Formats: sequence, structure tokens, C-alpha cells
Amino acid sequence: MFLKIAIKNIVAYKRRSIVTVALTCFTTALLVFASAFWDGSHNKMIESAVEIYPGYLQITQKDFRKIPSYDNLIFDARSVRNALTKISGIDTFGERFESFVLFSSREKAVGGMFTGIEPEKEERLSRLKKSLKKGEYLSPGDHAKLYIGTELAKRLKVDVGDVLSFVGTGADYSFAADNVTVKGIFQTGLFDFDASAAFVSKSYFDYIMAAQNYATHFIVLPEKPQDVEDLAATISRKLGSEYQALSWQKTMAGLVQAMKVDSIFGYITLSIIFIVIFFVIMIYTLLAVFARVREIGILRAVGTTPSQILRLLVLESVLLGLVSVVAGGLIGGALAYYFQLHPIVFPGYEEQFKQYGLAASAMPAIFSLSTIVRDMIVMFVLTVLSTLYPILKVNGYRPIEAIRHV
Amino acid sequence: MYKLVAKIAWASLSRRKTRSVLVVLMIAVSLWGVLFLEGIYDGMIEQMIGNAIRSGSGDITLFAKGYRLDNDLGKLITRTEEIERLLTSDKRIKTYIIRIRQDGLVATAQYSRNGSIYGVELEAERGHGRLDSYITSGEFSFGGKNRGVILGARLADKLKVKIGKKIILSAQNLENDVSSMAFKVTGIIKTNNMALDETAVFIDQDKARDLLLVPEGVTQVCMILHNEKDIPALQDELRKHFSELEVFRWDEIYPALMQSRVMMEWFNLVISLIVFCVVGLGIFGVMLVSVLERLREFGIMLAVGTKFSQIRWIVMAESFFLGFLGFLAGSLLGGMTLYYFYVNGLDLTMFSQGLDVFGMDAVTYAVIRPDYFVTALTAVSLATLLSVLLPLRFLKNARPIETIRKV
Repeated sequence: MFLKIAIKNIVAYKRRSIVTVALTCFTTALLVFASAFWDGSHNKMIESAVEIYPGYLQITQKDFRKIPSYDNLIFDARSVRNALTKISGIDTFGERFESFVLFSSREKAVGGMFTGIEPEKEERLSRLKKSLKKGEYLSPGDHAKLYIGTELAKRLKVDVGDVLSFVGTGADYSFAADNVTVKGIFQTGLFDFDASAAFVSKSYFDYIMAAQNYATHFIVLPEKPQDVEDLAATISRKLGSEYQALSWQKTMAGLVQAMKVDSIFGYITLSIIFIVIFFVIMIYTLLAVFARVREIGILRAVGTTPSQILRLLVLESVLLGLVSVVAGGLIGGALAYYFQLHPIVFPGYEEQFKQYGLAASAMPAIFSLSTIVRDMIVMFVLTVLSTLYPILKVNGYRPIEAIRHV
Repeated sequence: MYKLVAKIAWASLSRRKTRSVLVVLMIAVSLWGVLFLEGIYDGMIEQMIGNAIRSGSGDITLFAKGYRLDNDLGKLITRTEEIERLLTSDKRIKTYIIRIRQDGLVATAQYSRNGSIYGVELEAERGHGRLDSYITSGEFSFGGKNRGVILGARLADKLKVKIGKKIILSAQNLENDVSSMAFKVTGIIKTNNMALDETAVFIDQDKARDLLLVPEGVTQVCMILHNEKDIPALQDELRKHFSELEVFRWDEIYPALMQSRVMMEWFNLVISLIVFCVVGLGIFGVMLVSVLERLREFGIMLAVGTKFSQIRWIVMAESFFLGFLGFLAGSLLGGMTLYYFYVNGLDLTMFSQGLDVFGMDAVTYAVIRPDYFVTALTAVSLATLLSVLLPLRFLKNARPIETIRKV
């Protein structure tokens, strides 16, 4: 009965119905798509930042993150290695030794990161191999062969096959220096990284820097990246208090927060549009409801209770809200799905992305049913709420007043 | 006559108080929101640009030919005296500084990192970009014997050094040998110009000359002008005057910042457009209904000799009142909010770690530009005007006189 009258009224007051449905549908679609795009692009940015080099999970000696000196190295890499092989949930792990040296070519001397890696494991742990631009990637037994970032190579004016020297401090604080040949040049797209990093195989590094069985950190690739925090906790427990295992959420806290800030600003901006839209919905509801003041007065006069009228009017809003939110959710969801398959490309903004340390210019949306439903519920509640004021106001009239209302 | 029109319009607005108040409120709130967003977002961008100009490029930067692409110490600006004479005499230039830069290695007892060594004159930097205001710990000085360094905040963090710690700077000198010198950290500086915070090591300019064996010449001259508008003209003149130099505007040195500014302008425009379209829709609904429900009233007015043009004026006046009141309230509210954040700043320290990634200050001071209000007024006027066009047409086609007869 109520339903029938409500539907009849919705059809009768076309202008209000169309405006409410159109606006709510538009806002819902906008919100659904914006959330999907923000979540998707933020995931992508974090993923690329994590995967290029830092890795999902890092293990260091317990004080190394605070004081990254040679006194706080992992001095028994073998035992860590043995412990890690026994832990389940690990896809691959590898050790690294990072140090800073002064590179000098015939023309220039430039400071840079000089890191020993396990080339075959690093293939899975980071994007170093995939970033090869010229020459060849490292292989495990390489002696005095350097894999160097493109910007660093440019600054040193060296190319594949050229020889350069480095001067640094060995793990035992001894003086370490040698000549190395450039084997390959890589480009990750992260300017700072490409301008400062160079790699050698760990076997050569151990030999020249007196770092046998030492490492600055281990990188772990979990089987399931989403469970990385649990894995970090497990590893910390198994390795004991001498070591610290941290997931990317901790090691890259700044980036994680930056993405959050970006979302917050986005939602603030959207909310201003939403406020205006709900004002308009409120106004149209007010107009529609007041066009029926007399009708409502007569209903009251013939014995309809205020609560029945309230129910009727709210039911109308709920029906309108439901239809528009579902339509908007479908449109927004379809857009999200489409842009998940076809990421949006920002060709002109690579420069800006790079400045923020993001080596990606194609941003996908993410299709997540739970987020879409959440946004739809939010919009539905807001639409119905924005109609409440006019409904309550008209229901406040006494029947005689309402009938005489002009 | 206009007085009467205004009176009638005002009377019919006050007859429907809830409705009128809602419309005014809607315009005011949307205006307030748009003004707030514009002012804060522009503030963020301008602060980033300001930081970059003050600490790095100035409005205009001079390099020797080819230096920008290849930061080679051999590519020096040599005619410094002549340049300085010219810069001092030019009335458009507020301040200028000269810097000597070379990339090298910064080492503590435990750790080393690559850094960019800048030989600077502290007093000139203070007057030029208020570099001293960026100091986060220690002091803006190189100590008694000029043996101090001021380190970029991120570099200091990576090296884990604090004030008073000893560091060794090594760099290639002009004769292609590596020379080193010991310094003590006297200050730490956070400019939010990411390149500087990440790598900068400021030392005394004479010390830099000793270290790098550069008896004369500099790598960079930066100037800040009184008026941003003079930048292109001055750039042209300097180009003609010093053909052996390269002359860059700040937006050529930091293209990403210029991109951000342009992107933000478009973003603001799109947001305003959406908001004012929706606002227009709101006014339209109200005006249409208010015209429709008064068809009889207008019919009687026409019957007793009122001209249609007068009725048109009444309807337009109503919508103008709504729009103008909304604009006044919104501008007042928005202007006051922006003024508050212009003076006190919007403090987002709780997100400082995240803002650092974007190179943004934790406290944003809002910008207030007169054109915000001009644009808003235009938008509100357009929205109110357009939203009565259709109702008026409707009114004309409805032949109000005939409606008198209908019950």
C-alpha cells in the first residue's frame, strides 16, 4: 500500500525525482570512481617504489636503522640464511651489503652507493635486472664488474666496457680501492637512484671490502605480499632480539603517509562538491514536498497519522536514493573496472612523478567490491538524510494550516 | 519603478523564507568551500615554488654554457665582477647571490654519502632567500674559523650526524685531483627543496675556493626580482648581454613545479565549474517553482496593466537577490577563513612525514587573491542569470492571463 502510493508520487513529481536521481547517481559514480582511482594509483606507486629496490621486507641488525655504521652489521649472514630457509611463506631472500664510495673515472670523481648483491636472487627481489638499459646484467661469479645507474654513468662519463676506480672503506675499516669494468647500465626511472647507485656481485664485494659472511641487510620477498606484516613478525621472533625485520609499511612510512595525505585532500575536495549537491537535493525535496502541503493536510484531516505520512515520505526518498545509488555504483564500478584493465596514462607528468620518486606514469584504478559498496552506502545515507529536513518540516504543520497553505 | 520592482521581489522572497534561506545558504557554503580550496591549494604550490626560488634557483639563474647538463667545475662563470656591477645597478633586481658548487663525498667516522658542496656567502644568502629561516637546529653560521658546515636535513639524517659532529668533505678539484678537508657541523637546514635537503652541504665560499682550488669564478649566480613580471624581459637582456652564459628562469630549472602550478589552476577551474553548475541547478529549481506557483498572480498583474518586461525584472531581481546575498555571505565566510589561515597557517604537522615526500611544508599559509572573488562573482551572476532564463520563457508561453480563468 505505502509502496504503491510512494511509487505513484515519485512518478507524479517528475522534476524532483529526475534531479534527485541524476545528482545522486552522478555523485555516487564520482565517489566510486575517485576512490577506485586513488586506491589503485596509490597501490601502484607504492608497489613500484617498493619493488624497484627497497623490497617488501628488510632484515637488519637491531641497531642498524638507527646507526647504520659498520659496527652494526649482520656479522653472521650464514646463520640468518639458515634460519630463513626454515621459515615458511618466503618466496626468495637475498643479502646485500651497501656502502658509499668515491667513484672516479678519467674525467670525474663522484660519490655513490656501492652495493654487493646476489645477482641471481636479485632478479626476483627487485627490478634491477628488468631495468637493464645497455650491456649486460651481473652474474654471480663476476669479478670487478660493475652494474651502474644511467645518470651516475653519465656524470662519470663512462660507458659499457670502460674502466673506473673506486675508493672506500672496507667492512674492517681498512682502505679499499680497485678498478672495475662497467658491465651494464640500468635505468629504473627514479632519478636519485639512477644517479647514485652501482652494484657488484656479492662474492667480489666480500673479497675487495673484507666483508666475508657480513651483510648490511637481507631482503625477503614474501609468497603473499599482503601478508608481509605477519611474516615480518614471524621472522623477528625466529631470529631473536639481535635482529630486526621490518615490512615496507615501516621502512617506507613516509611514502605510505604521503599516499594517505593525497587521499585525504582528494576526499576534502570531493566533499565540497557533495555538500553543494546535497543542498540542491534538499531544495528540490523541499519544493516537491511543499507542493503537496495541501494534499498532506487533507490526508491528515481524514485521519492519517503523522508517523504514517513520515513513513510515506521517507519511503519515497529511500526508493529514489536506492535507485540512484545502484545506478551510480554500476557506472562508477564499470569505470573502475575499465580503468583497471586500461590504466590512465599521464604522458606530460613523468617529470613531476619522478620528482616524487615515482617511476610510473600509467595509473590503474582498482576494482574493489567492498569499497564500492562502502561508497554506495555513504551516498545512500547522505541522500536520505538531506531529504529529512523538508519532510520533518512539512510534517510539523497542523492539518488546518496545511490545507490553507498557499 | 526599480524601487517597486525590488520591493515586490524582496516581498516574494521573504514569503518563502525556508526556501530562500536554503538557496542563499547553498550559494554561501559552496562559495566558502571553493574559496577555501583555492586559497589553501594555491598556498601549498606557491610555498613550494617560493622555497625552491629562495633556496635554489632564484627568479633567474646564470650558469656557464653547458653547466646545467653537466655540472663540471671546469665550466665556470668568469666575468663575475662585470656581472655583479650590472646586477647591483639594475633597479629591478632585489638581491643576488653567487655560489660555487661541486659534487663530492661527505663522510663521518662511520659512514659516507654523496653530497653537493655549495660555497656560499652566508650574509648574502640571509638577505637574498632568508636561508637562515630554514635552519632547524644549530645556527646559521660557519663558526669562528669558518670551519663549519650547514647540512641538508635529509643528508644529516642519512649520515646520522648532529650539531658539533666532525665530517670530512672530499671532492674533485679544478686540477682533477681529489682533495679533502675536515669540518664541523654547525647547522642543519630544511628548505623542503628536495634536491637541497637530500644533498646540500653549505660551506664558506673562501673555504670552498681553497678546497676546490678555484681562485676566481663561480658556478652559479641567482637573483630575485622585485616583481615577477620583469622576469622574461630581464632574461632576454641578460641573454643578449652575456652570450657565453646560459640564463634560466626558475620554471626552466624546476619544470615540475611549474607543471604543478598549471595543474592546480586547471584543477581549481574544474572544481569551481562543477560546483557552480550544481549551484545553478539549485537556483533554477527554486526560480522555476516560484514562477509556476505565481502564474495567477502574474496573470492578474498583467490584467491590471503591468508590462511583461516589469514582471521579467521582478523575477530577475529575485534571483539576483538570492545570488548576491549568497555571494556576500560566502565571500565573507570564505574570506575570513582564508584570512585566518593566511595569518595562522594550516598546521598539518601530524602528516609531516607524508608531506615531506612531496616536498611540502607542514604548515600551509593560505593565499588570498582578489581574482578569487571576481571569478566567484562572475560565476554566481552567470548561474543566477542562466537559471531564470528558462522559467521566464516558460512564463511567457504560459499566457498568464488565461490562467486567471483556470481554477
